[in-house]
Parts: sequence; structure tokens; C-alpha cells
Amino acid sequence: MAASGVSAPTRTEVLHLYRSLLRVARQFCDYNIREYTKRRTVDAIRDNKNLTDPSQLAAAFSDGKAQLEVAKRQALVYSLYAPKVVNIFGVTNASHSSLGAIWISVVELVSGFMRFYG
Amino acid sequence: MASQFIRQTLTKTKPSTIVRRFSTAAAVASPTGYEEPTGVTMKGVKISGRPLYLDMQATTPVDPRVLDSMLPFYLSRYGNPHSRTHLYGWESETAVETARAQVAALIGASPKEIVFTSGATESNNISVKGVMHFYKEKKRHVITTQTEHKCVLDSCRHLQQEGFEVTYLPVGSDGLIDLDRLRKEIRPDTGLVSIMAVNNEIGVVQPLEEIGKICKEFNVPFHTDAAQALGKIKVDVEKWNVSLMSLSGHKIYGPKGVGALYMRRRPRIRVEPQMNGGGQERGIRSGTVPTPLVVGMGAACELAMKEMEYDEKRIKGLQERLLNGIREKIDGVVVNGSMDRRYVGNLNLSFAYVEGESLLMGLKEVAVSSGSACTSASLEPSYVLRALGVDEDMAHTSIRFGIGRFTTEEEIDKAVELTVKQVEKLREMSPLYEMVKEGIDIKQIQWAQH
Repeated sequence: MAASGVSAPTRTEVLHLYRSLLRVARQFCDYNIREYTKRRTVDAIRDNKNLTDPSQLAAAFSDGKAQLEVAKRQALVYSLYAPKVVNIFGVTNASHSSLGAIWISVVELVSGFMRFYG
Repeated sequence: MASQFIRQTLTKTKPSTIVRRFSTAAAVASPTGYEEPTGVTMKGVKISGRPLYLDMQATTPVDPRVLDSMLPFYLSRYGNPHSRTHLYGWESETAVETARAQVAALIGASPKEIVFTSGATESNNISVKGVMHFYKEKKRHVITTQTEHKCVLDSCRHLQQEGFEVTYLPVGSDGLIDLDRLRKEIRPDTGLVSIMAVNNEIGVVQPLEEIGKICKEFNVPFHTDAAQALGKIKVDVEKWNVSLMSLSGHKIYGPKGVGALYMRRRPRIRVEPQMNGGGQERGIRSGTVPTPLVVGMGAACELAMKEMEYDEKRIKGLQERLLNGIREKIDGVVVNGSMDRRYVGNLNLSFAYVEGESLLMGLKEVAVSSGSACTSASLEPSYVLRALGVDEDMAHTSIRFGIGRFTTEEEIDKAVELTVKQVEKLREMSPLYEMVKEGIDIKQIQWAQH
């Protein structure tokens, strides 16, 4: 019996997940985890782009949502124990200028749209 | 939609307000006296921030997903897995068994063959000493290599003191053992062959399938220390024909203080327990199983299974970037150990005409290691490099770069820049290098005696 009630996610839902994951990635205080989350999100969305089977899509989507929950919790935990001194690159999540954040968001949005509609 | 997003970003409050919502007290009282706003001062060294971490063979950071799976077992589900009478015990036990299955799945074994220990060192001790003590009537000989981890070598030395015989196989200059030599050394009373899968210092991967075949032929138990190999290369206990395998949690982005021992059931290998007590873990390792650590190790193994391909591809690119970046700018760089049969995340380089201690002292903004973390207390050059036949002076200047899942291209570029700068600075000051540049062959010089 096929899994009933499990439908493939719509494009908007996937985009929303993608943006949420990137947003949560920016909240990590640890440079390495932040970069890894951003990179892994982009690569995972890109790898799953060509899936056609609805049950596979649904599985990948729910996996992504679960990872988003984990990331949200851990971003909070890491911020509670953030060391006072950051690594020698000297960039914390807080010190990302808002202009830079806007630029990154716009680029991500546009590339995300192009990826899914192009 | 985009404008709404931009408005949200512009008015976004900093994450520190999330902290305030939960507590008016300061965030965790930092016990560190060494962190100031302008940098870190420790042991007389001042750096502008925390160093870049490039020492993945010593230990790895805990993956946030692993930490997430561990925290409930510290907060609310804190039962002892051996308590049989209440929910706390039952849920703990379920979690331990799930973790056991996750570890077993990564190595291609059955969950019944996994015993949780306190780390790969304990697993190695149980394997080497436990097996030999159990079969001490008939088997008196152990074969191992010169490049093994200190815990294996120390256990063998302990066995030698008890009267067993140990053969330490030499390695070639590429770090690999000679299979014919191994075949010749096996005797009728050989009780164990112990050869590590991936060396922690030079990153060389031994030909384990062939060794497994030889051991099967002579019916000798084969133990391998797979602490550095787990989650990084494909580990299959059937293909390698191992009877015993030591695994470590903190090398695969899991917590420190936990490890596992794989013990084959068909044909059954028996060991004498090193920890006596209430008979937990099938009598092999008594003591309460630390649920959060074990759950963390299980989650780390499951993650490793999913991410192995992605990580390996990425780390290979980073290793090439590091090596090419350094080789472009300076010459006289030697890679210790075979380049073909190696794990991509380990790069052990020797720089000619540079003194090792001063190189490390100048590289304080990059956390790398020279020699292995276990032996760095002594001033001797690493025994592994000596076994490779590397000259004393080159062995002293070896640096081990460890690349992992979280390393970025930026970090690699910065490490290249700092290393090159430091090596060039030291070579400027080096009279030996001046002589080499003039064309004098250093080895031919007759140093004057006073």
C-alpha cells in the first residue's frame, strides 16, 4: 500500500525550506559550523533537484525539515556557549553587516528561483 | 516577497536577544582567564583569535547533529541502561541498542558483535592483551608493525614482559608493510596479527584485504585499529576478514570518551576481559554503558554513512589545494608516506632546511600538529617517521595537516599563506639553506670537531 497522505512538496515549500536553512545557518556563532551548514544546504538542495519520484521527494523534504529543527536548536545552544573570542578571521554572525546579509539573501533568492524555475 | 524578506533582515535583532529571553543572568560564566576582547594569550603567546583548526587526526569537533541527539540523555532521559525495572532504564537501553545497530551498520557487522568501551585505546588493550591471555596455553606470538599506535605497542611491550614473543614488522619508505614478510613471520603459535587500517600520523592505508586473506589462510585472528578509518574509508569486516576491530568516537565528529570493539562471532573470537564487574556488555567490558556518549557515537556513525562520499570528494579537493598551494611557493617539501594509498584528510609534510620547533612556534594561528598528540611530550622525533626511514632533521620538521568535514577553502588558503611565510622566514635566517643555494652538498661537509 502506497504511503497515503504523503505528497511531494511544492516548489514554494522547498524554497521556503531552503531559505529557512540558510537563515538559520547565519545564526551559528561558530565559523566552521556556519559555513558547513550553508554549503551543505546548497549542495543538498542541488543534488535533490532532479528527483522525480514523489515518495523520494517527500522523504527528502521531510528529512530537510527535520534537519532544520535540529539546526534551529543547535544554533541556540551554540549561542549560549559562544566563546568571547572568535577565530582569527574575526567574523561573527552578529558582525555580518546588515547590508551584506541583504545582499546574500537577494542572491540566494534569485539563484534559488532560477534553479527551480529555470 | 523579497521586500518583506529585506525588511525582516533589516529589523532583525541580534541572536543575543534570544539568550536574554531565557535568563537575565549572564550567559555561561566563562572560566577562561585568557580570553580578552583583543585576542587570546596563553603560554606566552598572543594571537588575535582562536586558531584555525587543522588537526583532525588528534580529535574532531562534535557535529551539531550529534550533540542534538546526545542532549536529551543528559537532561531528561538520564536513566541507567541496565536498570530493568522502570521507564528510565528501558528508554536508555533502547537508545543504546539503536546506537549499537548504527555502529554495526557502518562497518557491515551485526549489532551483537559490537561492545562499547571507553575509547579505541581500551579496545586495543582488550584485543591485544585479552586475546593473548585467553589463548596463552597454545599461542605465544604476536605480529604487529612498527608504526602502530602507542597503545598497541605498549600492550605488546607488556606482553613481552610476561614472556610472549612479539614481531614488529618494518615498513617501507611509503609506510606500507611487506606482505611476503608478513607471510614469512607467521608461525604455528601466532595468536594475533595487529595492523592498523589508517595511520594517524602519516595517513597511509594498509592493504587490509590482502592481509585478511593471509590471516585467513593461516587461520590467525586479525585485529585492526580502525579509529582513524571509521567513517572515512569504506570499512567492511567481511571483506577484510577481521576478527577484532577498534573504533573511536571522537575521530568521527562524535563525543570523546567512547569507543567500540567489534568481535567476530563466526568464527567466535574469545577474549579475557580487562574490566571485571557486573558482566555488562556480554562480560567483555563491565561498567555502566554511558548512554549519552554511546548515543552520540551511534549518531556520528549514521551521519558518517550518509556523508562519507560527499566529505571525501570535498576533502580531496582541499588536500590538493593545500599541497599545490604550498608546493607552488616553496620547494623542498616532502610528503611523508605513500601518496596513492592514503586517506585524503591527512597530509604530513616535511620542510627541508627548517627547524621544526621554530616552525610550529611561528604557526600559532593554525592549529596543526607535529608528531602525534600522544607522543608530543617528548622531544624525540616521531617513531613512525623514524620507521619510514626519514632522516632525523626532516623528521623534526614534519607537520601534520588534518582536513575534515568542517574545513573551508578560506582556512586552507590562510594555512598555506602562514606556512609559506614562516618557512621562508626561517630559511632566510638559515645558514644551511644559504650553503645549499650556493650549491654545496650538505651531506658531504666535514664538520670541524672542537
